[in-house]
Amino acid sequence: MRGWSGPLGMLAIVLAIALAARLGRAMRPYLLATLPLVISILLVNTFLYPGATDRILTLGPVSATWTGLAEALQATARVVAFALSVALLALTTAIDDLLDDLEHRGLGRRTIFVIGSAIRTVPRMIERAGEIVDAQRARGLDTEGSVWRRARGVVPLAGPMVLSALSEVEERTMALEARAFSAPGRRTTLRPLPDRPAERALRWGLFLAAVVLVGLSVSGRFPLP
Amino acid sequence: MTAVARLEGVGFVYPDGTRALAGVALELREGERVGIVGQNGSGKSTLVRQLNGLLRPTEGRVTLFGRDTAGVHVAELARTVGLAFQNPDRQIFAASVRSEVAFGARNLGRRGAELDRAVQAALEAVGLEGEAATNPYDLGYSRRKLLALASILAMETPVVVLDEPTTGQDARGVERIQRIVGSLGETGRTVITISHDMRFVAESFQRVIVMRAGRVILDGPPVTVFAAEHAGALASTFLEAPLAARLGERLGLGTTPSESALLDALAAR
Ligand SMILES: Nc1ncnc2c1ncn2[C@@H]1O[C@H](COP(=O)(O)OP(=O)(O)OP(=O)(O)O)[C@@H](O)[C@H]1O
Ligand SMILES: [Mg+2]
Repeated sequence: MRGWSGPLGMLAIVLAIALAARLGRAMRPYLLATLPLVISILLVNTFLYPGATDRILTLGPVSATWTGLAEALQATARVVAFALSVALLALTTAIDDLLDDLEHRGLGRRTIFVIGSAIRTVPRMIERAGEIVDAQRARGLDTEGSVWRRARGVVPLAGPMVLSALSEVEERTMALEARAFSAPGRRTTLRPLPDRPAERALRWGLFLAAVVLVGLSVSGRFPLP
Repeated sequence: MTAVARLEGVGFVYPDGTRALAGVALELREGERVGIVGQNGSGKSTLVRQLNGLLRPTEGRVTLFGRDTAGVHVAELARTVGLAFQNPDRQIFAASVRSEVAFGARNLGRRGAELDRAVQAALEAVGLEGEAATNPYDLGYSRRKLLALASILAMETPVVVLDEPTTGQDARGVERIQRIVGSLGETGRTVITISHDMRFVAESFQRVIVMRAGRVILDGPPVTVFAAEHAGALASTFLEAPLAARLGERLGLGTTPSESALLDALAAR
């Protein structure tokens, strides 16, 4: 057992920030996304924790244990804390600003493009998937019937998804070239990013705190929770 | 004429809180050709999606042939309302033009000779009968758009809805779509078309519905909607009457929404 203070402390910080930023509602989908993982963590740990003997109840060949349950809840807290901090970053950071800033700090243009398009593709893909589902349903594809009937919709739904993603690559390449993506030399930005001294100090403070924390824990003086 | 579709006090709010429709009351009749116009974001696409259940009214109700659509599956409503989307690439998946066109009709249960006939007729209507075996992605964008249209025509639904069918079409393509709209109307089917092309709307439709901010602000024949007295209302949703109407107005010929009407008025003078 690794302890509760880490994940719970993290959760408390993230939730406090989310509430202060009024992002409670917006974080719900991220929380939902962890659900499959959380459920499997709970089941596997509670019922199959190796070596645990303090039974709660027995269901056929497996039994739930208190040790397993505690471990499961801790792991859940960790997953949720992680998911919510990612959510917080996603919901509070303007991706364009982040990427501009990374470029200014000397990260390669190609690397930034890869990061940027990976982040930006997701919502676009979700939107496109919605349009495709609508278009096929409008042509009588049954997406509300039995599982068997729905299984027949895989090709009509996946087909346009893949094909349009592929055809988009070419368009994107041309659009990028037309805007001098591969031009040599360092680029400058017209749009300065506001970076107040307080923010800068906070960033450095957090960075130093992280270094100190890791140092203390590696040296064994303060075991990382 | 019987009411094919009726919208009663229909309002719609997207899950994110955006209100897209408010208090829309409409009756669409058999064989009627209806054009829907309005600025970007005025709610046209949202409105037509209420007809086949892709979106359900958050207020009011929609009936098709007198039957409430609430609780009826989209796959079932597709028997009555065929909806062709703006972007053909969001639907094309089949390896040949023929099987793409057959997809919808097959979903509605057509098989064998009946299916072949429907597919052939749809291909001929859009002029793709020579490309039945072609891979859809070997066709250019404008012909893929006609292909998507054919796949809706082949479903032979009593109501056909087209979302911006003329974008990307050259003069011949537009003419072809005008012919299709005309012949659908002649066979008693109701055609509803969203368009930003006022000339196309004035030439091909008996009824024009003008939308602004989720409401219907004008509803009538082109000769009324494009009359000078409504120029202000049209401008309020960033529209302008077609050239023929404006010319007729300036020549003092009254309202001449279509080119033939303008020519007739000129000849009469
Ligand atoms: N999925 C969605 N979620 C939230 N709001 C939406 C969604 N789709 C459309 N809207 C909003 O609903 C309103 C009506 O949109 P709609 O697409 O019906 O307009 P439109 O008249 O078809 O416009 P266009 O001419 O650009 O196609 C707009 O304000 C739009 O931003
Ligand atoms: Mg639209």
